[in-house]
Amino acid sequence: MIPIEYWLVFSSLLFCIGAYGVLTKRNAIVVLMCIEIMLNSANINLVMFSSYHSVLHIDAMDTDPSGQAFALFSIAIAAAEVAVGLAILLSVYRQYKTIEVDKINILRW
Amino acid sequence: MLEYAWLIPVFPFAAFLLISLLPKRTLSWEDGAGYAVGGAAAALILSVLVIWEVMSGSTMVGDGPKFEWLVIGDISFTFGIWIDQLTAVMLLVVSVVGTLIVVYSAGYMHGEGEKRRRYYAEIMLFISVMYGLVISDNYLQMFIFWELVGLCSYLLIGFWYEKPSAASAAKRAFIVTRVGDIMLMAGIIILFKYVGSLDFVTLFDQETAAAVPTDMMVLATALIFGGAIGKSAQFPLHEWLPDAMEGPTTVSALIHAATMVKAGVYLTARSYPLLVQAPESLLFVAVIGGVTALIAATVALVATDIKRVLAYSTISQLGYMTLALGAGGYLVLYADTGGGYSAAVLHLMNHAFFKALLFLCAGSVIHAVGTNDMRLMGGLGKKMRITSMTMLVGALAIAGIPPLSGFWSKDEVLAAVYHAGEFNAVFFLLWFMGIATVFMTAFYMFRLWFMTFAGEPRSDYHAHESPKIMTFPLMILAALAAVSGFALFISDGFKYFIEGSIGGLVHEVHHESATDILGVIFGDPLTYLSLVLAVGGMFLAYKMYYLPGFDRSVFARGISGRLQVALENRWYISKFYDDFALRVVYAVSLVADAFDRYVIDGIVNGFAHLGGRSGNVMRTVQTGNVQRYAGLVVIGLCLLLIFMLYIAPWGGW
Repeated sequence: MIPIEYWLVFSSLLFCIGAYGVLTKRNAIVVLMCIEIMLNSANINLVMFSSYHSVLHIDAMDTDPSGQAFALFSIAIAAAEVAVGLAILLSVYRQYKTIEVDKINILRW
Repeated sequence: MLEYAWLIPVFPFAAFLLISLLPKRTLSWEDGAGYAVGGAAAALILSVLVIWEVMSGSTMVGDGPKFEWLVIGDISFTFGIWIDQLTAVMLLVVSVVGTLIVVYSAGYMHGEGEKRRRYYAEIMLFISVMYGLVISDNYLQMFIFWELVGLCSYLLIGFWYEKPSAASAAKRAFIVTRVGDIMLMAGIIILFKYVGSLDFVTLFDQETAAAVPTDMMVLATALIFGGAIGKSAQFPLHEWLPDAMEGPTTVSALIHAATMVKAGVYLTARSYPLLVQAPESLLFVAVIGGVTALIAATVALVATDIKRVLAYSTISQLGYMTLALGAGGYLVLYADTGGGYSAAVLHLMNHAFFKALLFLCAGSVIHAVGTNDMRLMGGLGKKMRITSMTMLVGALAIAGIPPLSGFWSKDEVLAAVYHAGEFNAVFFLLWFMGIATVFMTAFYMFRLWFMTFAGEPRSDYHAHESPKIMTFPLMILAALAAVSGFALFISDGFKYFIEGSIGGLVHEVHHESATDILGVIFGDPLTYLSLVLAVGGMFLAYKMYYLPGFDRSVFARGISGRLQVALENRWYISKFYDDFALRVVYAVSLVADAFDRYVIDGIVNGFAHLGGRSGNVMRTVQTGNVQRYAGLVVIGLCLLLIFMLYIAPWGGW
C-alpha cells in the first residue's frame, strides 16, 4: 500500500500547480483549467482518506464509501461549473473581444 | 363663592381666544374692542364678588379646589386658587384698572385699523394671565403665569414692531426680566429641594419651612426677590422699563399700574412668610428699594419725554413699595406689627390708580399733540380741560398732598421705614433717601404738568380734547386716585384687614379706628416734614417752569451741570449695559464663535477628512484585476494557516 504521505504530497503539489496557474495565466480558459486541477487535488484527498478509512477498520467490516461518493458529486458539480464558466467566457468574449483576465477590469474604483 | 374664583382669568382668556380665532368677517365689533371690554367687565364683576366675600371675612388659603396636572412619583403639581386679603387687593387693582384701560383703548387705538385685533387679543391674554398669577396657590403655577406675563409684555411693548426701536425695547424688556426670572426659578428650586413641595400652604407653615437651613433660606428668599428685581424694574435691572415706553401708551399704563411690574411686588409680598425668616434678605430688599426710589426719581427730574418721566416715577414708586416691604419685615419680626407690609400693599393699590390715571392722561395728550416731547408742548390746559384737571389730580396724589391717596400710603411707608430704624440703623439712611424722593417726586410731577399744560404752545399743533370714551375712564380713575387712600380707614383699619394675609406672623391684633390712625399720622412731626418737602417741590417746579424769567441755565454750570449731564444719561446705567454687551459679551461671543468654528467644527471636519483620506488610500486596492484578488485571498489564507498552526498554539489557544 502506498503510504499516506505520498498521496498528501501529491495532492498538495497538484493544488499548488493549480493555484499558480490561476494566479498567473492570462488566458481565462487556462485559468478555468487550473481551477479544475485544484478541484481534482481535493478529490484525490477525499478518495484517499475514504480508502484509508476502510483499511483501518477492516476487521469491523466497516467499509464507509461516503468519501468516494463525495468525490463523484464534486466531479459532477465541477462539470456543471465548467459549463457555466465557459458560457460566461463566451459572452465576455462577445462583449470585449478578449478573454485575457487582466484586460477585463472595469469593476474597479 | 370663592371656589369659583378660577373663572376670573377664564373670561378674559375666552375673549382672547374669540378675538384671535374668529374669522375676519365675523369679528368686527370695532375689531375686537367689544369682546375685550366684555371679557374684562365679566372678570371685573367676578372680582368684585370675590373681594366682597373677602371683605366679609372668608378666605380660601390652601383648602381650595385643586387640579392635578403633573405627577412624578409621589410628588404632584397642581393648579389651585388662593384667595386672601392680599389677593383681594390685587384683584381690585387688576380688574378696575384693566377694565378702564381696555375701555380707554377703544378710543386711543382708534386709528390703528387691522392691528387692533392683535392688540386686543394680547391685552386680554395679558390681563388673563395676571389674574392667573394673582390667584395662584403654589410657586410653580405662579411661575408659569409669571413667564406668561413677561411674554405678553414683550408682545405689547413690541406692538409697533416695524419700528426698530420698539422691537429692540421689547427684546430688552424680555431679556432683562429673564435675568430675574432665572433667579426666581433658582430660588423656587432651592425651596423645592428642601421642602419637597411648592404649595404655599406647605411652605408658609413655619414648621415645614424649618426644614430649610438658614443660609439656604437667605439665598432662596434673596433669589425669589431677584425675580421681583427683574419684573418690578428694581435698581440694577430697571432700565428696561423706560425703554418699554415704545409700546402704545395704554400698554404702558397697563404694565405700570396693573400687571407686569406689580407682579414683582406682589411676589415679594406673597413670599412674606419666607422672607421674615431671613432678615438678611429683608435688608437686601429694603436697600434695593431705597436705592431704586432715589435713583429713579433723580433721573425723572431731567427727562423730557412725558412717558419717560412717568416711567421713572413708576420705578421710584415701586422702590417705595419694596422699601416698605423690607422695612415691614423687620417690623413683623421685632415689633410684631404688619405696618410696613400694609403700607406697601396700600401704596401698591394707590399707585395703580394714580399711575394708570397719569399714563392715560399722558396718552390723551400724546393723542392730541402727536409727540412725546414735553419741550414741544405747553398751553394744553385751555384746550384739554378734562385731561389737564384729571392729570392735576394724579400729580397731586403722587406728590403726596392730603387728602389724596398718595399722601396716606406714602406717609405710612415712610413711617414704617423710620420705625424699622429702631432695629437697624440702615433704615434711617433709607428713610432719608425716601424723604428726599418725596421732594423730587413733587418737583418732577409738577414740572411735567407745567411744561405740558401751562404757558403757551411751544410748537405748532392743533390740540383738542379726546373723545368721551377716553375722558370717561380718566374721570373714574381720577375719582379713585383721589379717594383710594381712604381704604386706610375701612372698618378696623387697612392694617388689620391686610394683616389677615400674614396672619401667622403677627400675633397682636391691631384694631384701629379712623381717629386712632389720624391721630398717629398727624401727631407725627415727620408727616409735616414730608408735607413741607412735597409742597416745596411743587413750589420749585412752579417757580422754574411756570413763572417767566427764571434762568434755568444756572444749573447747567459747574458741579450741577455735570450732575445734570449724568442724569440726562440716566446715570450711565443704560450705557454701562450697552458697553457691557458690546465689549464683554461680544468678546465672549467672539471666543465662543472661534471655539465653535475651529475646535468643535475642527473635530467633526477632521473625522470627515480622516475618513475621506483613508478611503482614498484604501480604494486603490480595488483594481478590478481578479487575479490580484485571488492572490490576496491565497496570501491571506497562508497567513491564517501560519497563524493557526504555529503562532496560536504558543499563545495557548
